[in-house]
Amino acid sequence: MQVNPVIEKELKTKMRGWKAPALISIYLGFLLTVIVLYFLFNNQMSYYGQGVFNPRVALNAYNTLAFFQLLLILFITPVLTGGSISSERERQTLDLLLCTDFSTFKIITGKIIVSIAHVMLLITASLPILGLVFLYGGIDLFDILLLFFFYIVVAIMVASFGTFYSTVFKKTIISIVATYLTIFIFSAVTAVALVVFYVLILNDHGTPSYSEFATFLFSNPFFGFGSIIENTTTRHSFFDIFTTLATGDSTEKIIIKSWMINSAFNIAVSSLLIFISARRIKPVK
Amino acid sequence: MLVIKDLVKNYGKFKAVDNLSLNIGKGHIYGFVGANGAGKTTTMRIVSGLLKATSGYVEVAGIDIRKNPILFKKKIGYMPDFFGVYDDLKVTEYMDFYSGIYGVAKSDRKAICDQLLELVNLTDKKDFYVDNLSRGMKQRLCLARSLIHNPDLLILDEPASGLDPRARIEMKEVLKGLRDMGKTILISSHILPELAELCTSIGIIEHGKMVVSGTVAEIMAKVSSKKTLRIKVLEDIAVLEKFLKEQPSINSMSVHNDYIDAEFTGENKDMVEILKGAITKGIPIISFNEVDRNLESVFINLITEGGGDKNAS
Repeated sequence: MQVNPVIEKELKTKMRGWKAPALISIYLGFLLTVIVLYFLFNNQMSYYGQGVFNPRVALNAYNTLAFFQLLLILFITPVLTGGSISSERERQTLDLLLCTDFSTFKIITGKIIVSIAHVMLLITASLPILGLVFLYGGIDLFDILLLFFFYIVVAIMVASFGTFYSTVFKKTIISIVATYLTIFIFSAVTAVALVVFYVLILNDHGTPSYSEFATFLFSNPFFGFGSIIENTTTRHSFFDIFTTLATGDSTEKIIIKSWMINSAFNIAVSSLLIFISARRIKPVK
Repeated sequence: MLVIKDLVKNYGKFKAVDNLSLNIGKGHIYGFVGANGAGKTTTMRIVSGLLKATSGYVEVAGIDIRKNPILFKKKIGYMPDFFGVYDDLKVTEYMDFYSGIYGVAKSDRKAICDQLLELVNLTDKKDFYVDNLSRGMKQRLCLARSLIHNPDLLILDEPASGLDPRARIEMKEVLKGLRDMGKTILISSHILPELAELCTSIGIIEHGKMVVSGTVAEIMAKVSSKKTLRIKVLEDIAVLEKFLKEQPSINSMSVHNDYIDAEFTGENKDMVEILKGAITKGIPIISFNEVDRNLESVFINLITEGGGDKNAS
């Protein structure tokens, strides 16, 4: 079996030069800064005083890292994919690909896989930082694996949008902005719509049910994230907001969790976008 | 090898290609000539599978583009007029990438790429980054790329455009090499004399329509019935002008400072009579000769005639 040449070429060229190491350094530097500041802040503010270990600090540190990592994926993936097709068009290499019998589906999937590989490289490179939290214990290996799976699915969804927009718009910068706008709609606008609907229209000030949350927030990555960190979230912490989103007012065990709903949506949308993108760049349909 | 029948491409109300038909036999080199915007590139992009025709029929090696576009593309090697390269790849990596795109087995790639780089005289540049190649070298690299899958038909859209004279000569040599290998080529260019030297047939396109199509000899013969006589005089050009106007075999003329270009439609003996008559009248003639008509002048002549001519073939 032959490796997709688009993947082979992109991996080779993307890792050349200073950009890839710079991106990894900035990414890790940012996470490290977050975790160092977090520990500093918690030691200074701790009720027990400096040098005393609080297990909740470690769990919240894990959640903080997981949260910031999700934010970074949402910010970085559009940049990695926004130019996947438009940059080929900008440098006049797209026609040279399209005049061959190489399938447009392979071009699109190749581009997406490369960006996912890049995201995975960033996630993998961050493992030592995440490993700091392991020193304190309290985190299951399954939690980590589930978190990584969730990251990859979110990255695929964002990458699919980035690639799709790059088939629509001629300029890379417009594709990137359109992808950010989509992420904003999926995360912030859905949340605002939920609040507007319940508080302003229904005048309901209680916690909505899980199914009501799911109806509004199925596309929201933070809705899915809530159930990913539910095992590591302590009550009344900042991250309790996300777990509340992922459970609603339900007191019973939820079978179809929010990450499943969100991931199913992401996979369905990604598949559709990959199909449409491949069709869009096909010159003679 | 290539059959195009009644090809039409409309952009809204604008007809970029208007009922164009042509036929290129195996091993032939067909020069596609036309001014900018005449419809050459549009036709070539349709034949390369990059653009959908509004109507018409395109077939390469017996394969209809609409029925089997994937197999059709396997038969085509296309080099566009404007193209980019991956500057961050080395020449060998560039060739290896496109070998993968064309589905060449990994084990065969090196041999094929080495052979093609030798063909386009880039063997000594194979470890260079594409970014470091000159424009002419990039053109030749792109040509090598289009040959990777050994296509039945090579489509070269202005392969020498933007090249300096030396790079043009190098490109011409490579194209002659391809001709000698028996490749079927559809080539467009503005360098018409070069096409005459290289091509077996040419077609002149104007406003999307084929003005004339045939072998170079046929097209030259078609317009050779009209000859241009250039008569240079020492003085009294007005007398010569008056004399020429009286000659029935002179259709029209253009008067310059010390010479007149006259369009002549008679036989050789009529030409002799004109010369004799002018000397008898005492017109001080310095030179009297027929102007050579190359493909360039044929092209300009046909274009200025407004594209009304019928096909020569």
